[in-house]
Amino acid sequence: MSRRLLSFAVLAALLLTVSISAAQDAEPVRIGIAVAQTSNVALFGQEQVIGAQIASDYYNEQGGINGRPIELVFQDTAGDEAGAINAFQTLIADNVVGIVGPTLSQQAFAADPIAEQAGVPIIAPSNTARGIPEIGAYIARVSAPVAVVAPNAVRAALDINPDIARVAVFYAQNDAFATSETGTFQETVTALGLELLPVQQFQTTDTDFTTQITNVLPQNPDLVIVSGLAADGGNLIRQLRELGYEGLIIGGNGLNTANVFPVCQAFCDGVLVAQAYSVSYESEINTIFRDIYTEQQEKNPPQFSAQAFTAVQVFVEALIELDNTVGLDTLDLAASRTQLNETLLSLEYDTPLGPLSFTPDGEINQGTFYVARIEMNDDGQTGQFAFVASIETEPAAEVEATPEATPGS
Amino acid sequence: MDQFIATYGFLMINMLLQAVLALSLYLPLMAGQLSLAAPGFFAIGGYVAAVLSTQKFLAVPGTSYGEPLNAFTLWLAGIFPFTPPGAAYPIGLVLVEMGIGGLLCGILAVVIGLPALRLRGIYLALATIAFVEILRVLALNLPITGGAIGIFGIPQPFPQDATKFSYAIITVPFLALAAWFVYRLERSRVGRAFIALREDELAATAMGIDPTYHKVLAFVMGAVLAGMCGALSAHVLNTWNARQGTFDASILILAYVIIGGSRVWLGPIVGGLFLTALPEVLRQVAGIDGLPVWLSSFLSDGRLIIYGLLIAFGVLFFPQGVVTPERLERKAKSPSPRAAEEAVT
Repeated sequence: MSRRLLSFAVLAALLLTVSISAAQDAEPVRIGIAVAQTSNVALFGQEQVIGAQIASDYYNEQGGINGRPIELVFQDTAGDEAGAINAFQTLIADNVVGIVGPTLSQQAFAADPIAEQAGVPIIAPSNTARGIPEIGAYIARVSAPVAVVAPNAVRAALDINPDIARVAVFYAQNDAFATSETGTFQETVTALGLELLPVQQFQTTDTDFTTQITNVLPQNPDLVIVSGLAADGGNLIRQLRELGYEGLIIGGNGLNTANVFPVCQAFCDGVLVAQAYSVSYESEINTIFRDIYTEQQEKNPPQFSAQAFTAVQVFVEALIELDNTVGLDTLDLAASRTQLNETLLSLEYDTPLGPLSFTPDGEINQGTFYVARIEMNDDGQTGQFAFVASIETEPAAEVEATPEATPGS
Repeated sequence: MDQFIATYGFLMINMLLQAVLALSLYLPLMAGQLSLAAPGFFAIGGYVAAVLSTQKFLAVPGTSYGEPLNAFTLWLAGIFPFTPPGAAYPIGLVLVEMGIGGLLCGILAVVIGLPALRLRGIYLALATIAFVEILRVLALNLPITGGAIGIFGIPQPFPQDATKFSYAIITVPFLALAAWFVYRLERSRVGRAFIALREDELAATAMGIDPTYHKVLAFVMGAVLAGMCGALSAHVLNTWNARQGTFDASILILAYVIIGGSRVWLGPIVGGLFLTALPEVLRQVAGIDGLPVWLSSFLSDGRLIIYGLLIAFGVLFFPQGVVTPERLERKAKSPSPRAAEEAVT
């Protein structure tokens, strides 16, 4: 117990030294990064750390905030709610102007109210649940909700084959994301006036899907939509092809990963996937981001890294704007946090995700979404996501049409 | 000081809640039952509070939660007439939720406990792990629990600008009462029967102690405590979902009891407080200026490694836990003979 007291005392001393050093010139602007660096969510969190780090290195090379460098302060949220709250509290006490995080939507519902109360702007890099920006005035996100991303794949499929009439939907009943994603897919199919064949359920642990496939194959579907994870989804696609299905296949976000290639191998070829980020998107900033990432990691950047980069970029550009108009030096910490929040919601950004802006609520207006087609190499083990279409969207129309925060839908 | 409370308020409240959870696992262990069901009841309690406060009780007139309370909930709220000005939700209702959560868990524990407690040792542990898993799958699939996202926006019984430390007004008495209850229990006839069953079930049965009755009783007591703790935690966390009270949590709570001490009431409390604070303390130590870079990066990146090592060494060097009845006695003897007398009796 005494060790805890001791370290609290040391922390208090640390806080003092931080506030004393605040008087120095070219003091860095501190941005907090609170993502899951440990626990079973760390797979995503680590990608976010890389994305954020690339952004801060890049913008510091560009001169930071009009000469003041950016300093990222990392605090691990782990995978639970208490961890996220603790990380947020630590960062807020550590005088950051804003926080990028947390990784999971569930963590955001617990931790964001803390930041809202303290008046610290939050940019969520990967929260896709409904109701996140509605938590408060200081909460924004650069991750488009499932309900906005998923329908694009169906539209792209209709572009490729306008004769689609009957749609079969498969989903992993025990996976949270797949369950909510399939709801969106089914709504889209019905809204487009297509016939929805009886929905088939499976488990992420299943390996044999013959029953489900033979349930719908006799009804001649023209399009199959699969919401699952890489292993089960990949096997399902493989068995669909083996049992003679020849039409188009759409994979959900769970299949938006290279891990699916070894599973369905040559059968993956042609599967359509909707993406919030495309490696192939051609713009100056995405080329810069992609080149740095590929050089460091020797693979293409995933969506999580691109969104984390974007979150830091939004803070940096808003800080520069704030410094140009008001002057960061003239503001104390509380005022700079408040004004940073107002500024970042009002600007438009050109990011690796494409052009984006925010609604006054803090919801993302992402201008462009992407649909990719899996193209397998001849060895049948490797492949890539080939860019098929970028879809321009009306600004956040679908999001604002359903403002009520229905949990779990 | 304000700054300190704002930053560590939540941590302190969480430490207290984890200590209560540790007690709830300690209770069946007192009767020799290695039950890992506490997180399951914790999750149920949390869902009870989350559903009642967001869908049934709603809130006080004139707040952002809008809907006026019905006569019944108004009456309930009046039982404990303390609602801080500006709060969105009466504290009384939080206590009512804790009561309902505890009651529900108690009833469920009787139903589950009667068949499950025929199992012993690791078999009971396995059965209770299965129970926790079943609850998790149910929570993911039932519409009322909100699926994977869970339930969020749980109303706070304190004003908008109050810190999480405000919860101390409920949490401190809650832990104190729970600790007092277990402390007294250890000295009562029932408690001694529990301990007799733990030390030697055969001998205890021969002396006329009904093993089933006492085991189920200990199991139910633990369930009630965990359920009440869950109901309170749902308000503290502001959100509740299927990731609360999983298998990981079972193991963590077991670690509180093993490290703290599994044979006396103070052990689980010390274990819960200490092990909850430890990762956060390591986080702060890593941030101290002037540490060599390798050390501070090891402390921040490897704090969970240190945490794991400490648990491993704790088990190696304190196999009975840090707090044991013998140590308590020795300590009590030296300063004041009267306290020692009490500890013995």
